[in-house]
Amino acid sequence: MEVTITSSPFGSRTRTRALLALRLLGESYPRELARLLGAPLSSVQKALASLERDGLVAARPVGRTRAFRLEPRYFAHEALGKYLDRLAEPEEDLRGRVAALRRRPRRTAKSL
Amino acid sequence: MITRQSSLADVAIALGDALRRHGIRAVLTGGACASLHTAGDYQSRDVDFVLVGPTTQARLDAAMASVRFLRRGDSYVHPRTAFYVEFPRGPLAIGSDHAIRPVERRRRGARALILSATDSCRDRLAAFYHWNDRSSLAVAVAIARKRRVDLRAIRRWSLAEGSPGGFEAFLAELRRPPRPVRRHRHAAPGEPEPLTARAQRSRL
Repeated sequence: MEVTITSSPFGSRTRTRALLALRLLGESYPRELARLLGAPLSSVQKALASLERDGLVAARPVGRTRAFRLEPRYFAHEALGKYLDRLAEPEEDLRGRVAALRRRPRRTAKSL
Repeated sequence: MITRQSSLADVAIALGDALRRHGIRAVLTGGACASLHTAGDYQSRDVDFVLVGPTTQARLDAAMASVRFLRRGDSYVHPRTAFYVEFPRGPLAIGSDHAIRPVERRRRGARALILSATDSCRDRLAAFYHWNDRSSLAVAVAIARKRRVDLRAIRRWSLAEGSPGGFEAFLAELRRPPRPVRRHRHAAPGEPEPLTARAQRSRL
């Protein structure tokens, strides 16, 4: 049985880690977050929906998906960012996964 | 009574009045508020109220039911109008500023709390500053042209939000000649008279 060794100050563990991931990434979409967090897609979608209702994150349509990021208009956005930065420090696994993601552009037709 | 022909302003003020009469303090925000401040030049289908005091779901449902709005998921809908109501979670804030002072708007015997013109303008500018939403910039400009807004306060807030460039873009748009509006409408009795762009600039 897995034992949680870190707190979840934003409710569920998925909610908290989704916020941490968005802070580290800047912007992401549900399927990418699900892969990063090792969580079911439906759980991530529910977490994002509840975070959106709370005004902590916001989404915009990008193609056929929605890109989420921390809501810059949240009244405590700056303080939230600093808090999430601090919370992310001991999350070595998550930070490692984020660091492994490729975000830089890749030329069309360039082979892998 | 809300009917199929009711305007957004009619619906929004009627809702605010119903909430008030049920002891629920709520402030009209978002696009519906912007619509009121542009005298309908900008339209929105959703009506957003931010609750600024404690209440219960049952009490809220009862207040909404008094004007025939019924809860469906996170929204409230009415059988005779396409406008729907949402209650975004608080606090009532614009960017990092949560010292918001709503104003009371009266219409046909009904009263509702709404964002002031200055705060509604800032609310739209926040979307432009943080999401680069040009349509929100256009609405902010429309509000500033229709209503008296405190440009000095908007500038101070813009600097606090880290968007001096955004404020300059707003001023530049405000100085442009306005596009011809298709529908001309005189201010209703009791409504503040619109100000020209020249009058706005002279107050900066």
